[in-house]
Amino acid sequence: MTGAYLLSQIVNGLVLGAMYALIAIGFSMIYGIVRLINFAHGDIFAVGAFAALGSIAIAALPFPLAVLVVLLAGALVGLLVERAAFRPMRGAPQVTGFIASLAVAIILENLAVMTITAQPRTFAIPAWLGALVPLGSISVRVVDIAIIVLALVLTAALVGFVRFTRTGMAMRATAENYGVARLMGINIDRMIALAFAIGSALAAVAGLMWGAKYGQISPLMGTVPGLKAFVAAVIGGVGSISGAVLGGFVLGLAEVLFVGLLPSEFSAFRNAFVFAALILVLLVMPNGLIGKSTETRA
Amino acid sequence: MLWVDDIHVRRGGTHALRGASLEVRRGEIVALIGANGAGKTTTLATISGLLRPRSGTVRFAAEPDAAPVELSAMKAEAIVAAGVSHCPEGRQIFANLSVAENLAIGAFLRRDREGIASDVADIHRLFPILKERAGVPGDRLSGGEQMMLAIGRALMSRPKLLLLDEPSLGLAPRLVEQIFDILERIRDEGVTVLLVEQNAAMALDIADRAYVLEAGSIVLQGTGRDLAEDPSVRRAYLGAA
Repeated sequence: MTGAYLLSQIVNGLVLGAMYALIAIGFSMIYGIVRLINFAHGDIFAVGAFAALGSIAIAALPFPLAVLVVLLAGALVGLLVERAAFRPMRGAPQVTGFIASLAVAIILENLAVMTITAQPRTFAIPAWLGALVPLGSISVRVVDIAIIVLALVLTAALVGFVRFTRTGMAMRATAENYGVARLMGINIDRMIALAFAIGSALAAVAGLMWGAKYGQISPLMGTVPGLKAFVAAVIGGVGSISGAVLGGFVLGLAEVLFVGLLPSEFSAFRNAFVFAALILVLLVMPNGLIGKSTETRA
Repeated sequence: MLWVDDIHVRRGGTHALRGASLEVRRGEIVALIGANGAGKTTTLATISGLLRPRSGTVRFAAEPDAAPVELSAMKAEAIVAAGVSHCPEGRQIFANLSVAENLAIGAFLRRDREGIASDVADIHRLFPILKERAGVPGDRLSGGEQMMLAIGRALMSRPKLLLLDEPSLGLAPRLVEQIFDILERIRDEGVTVLLVEQNAAMALDIADRAYVLEAGSIVLQGTGRDLAEDPSVRRAYLGAA
């Protein structure tokens, strides 16, 4: 094994990790504010991929504009899902929301299969994104760097928003205590909808990245990355944005290195490895890498 | 300024309020005393819109010449905007927010930056410890400091009426006295106070008027002094023989 091989594996791991991180943020934000694991989140990732395909391949939008369209499409679908499936369930037992999210996942997937078929599509990227740039002893594609940079920029923007703006503060307050947040004059429905919109927008962008990186998308593409991003969120400490980002990168790197460094007969076990990693982390750190509280809200 | 009229409220399957009525006049401290489970907290939660009455009305007039509005038809957010601030039982400081942010979130509905800054300065004068510890997470404060923060946060919306639930809960007597002194100052600065307290002696001592709540209804009312001298109140709530 050469240093160059290792370096290129690390880049691949970071790219995969960046996408996991973006999806995991949504899991974490939504869980943080409504204590709900949204199993439709992976399908919003797929919606993002198709929105990207539509805006790049069909509408021929320039790439940066496509990113914007995908963010908006994701936010819109997230808002819609929240309004239609989760808001009516507010105050219901947790398991009700869980089942509702499975229903949303099934509906989204089958709608997609009915309208655009389950056939995988080729996702072509502009030539400049496919160009190679030298990085030390290896060359990487522009798209790899773009994915990592875009993920970091979006994450930084989100962290800044949550930490330093009035609305971000209100979201944190809502996540902690609905009743007292309302006593402050906060419209909690609006904050919950916002968390869904932001989380879904980021997952949708991850869908665009996935297509750009691997060149192929399908309506059911969200299931496995969605599950793994959920694992990343739990590893990082669910409810924490920085935990989700850390968990995403750790998991992406670990997964790629597992496949890349071990003999090839192990590579069939990459998914098993991910879930084994989850169990291991939870055994050692039940709250994840960054998570703090174990309390459940009354 | 507040007229609660014959409200019935169910909470968690029990009939917590059974036709409770009370009135709060501008500039008063009104105490609501009663045993655990009598419905005191439910009364405040109904006024602030966290609970809805099944029947009865809750009317509020922020200004003397304004027509009263019906609070029970309004959302909690709108009730804050109308001038009622509820400082909940158990303080309920946001642990994920710093002390300074806990104060800032109390002013969530306000946009007047200068006014907010000057109110923060006022609250820092009232409770200097909150300035010293502005940057630490809210849950790192001691119980007494959290109570000060909870009161400060409730005042940040510039309420006309402050609903205060059990400020003495779990605090040392010296701290309770300090908090009650500050309540009188808050009243003197023009904020009307409706105070729910288990510590009936302290509450009746500073209250202009008081109500006794028993099993969801008001059974007695009068000035703080009258009730403090009432034999049944003394027996039930003041520990007299």
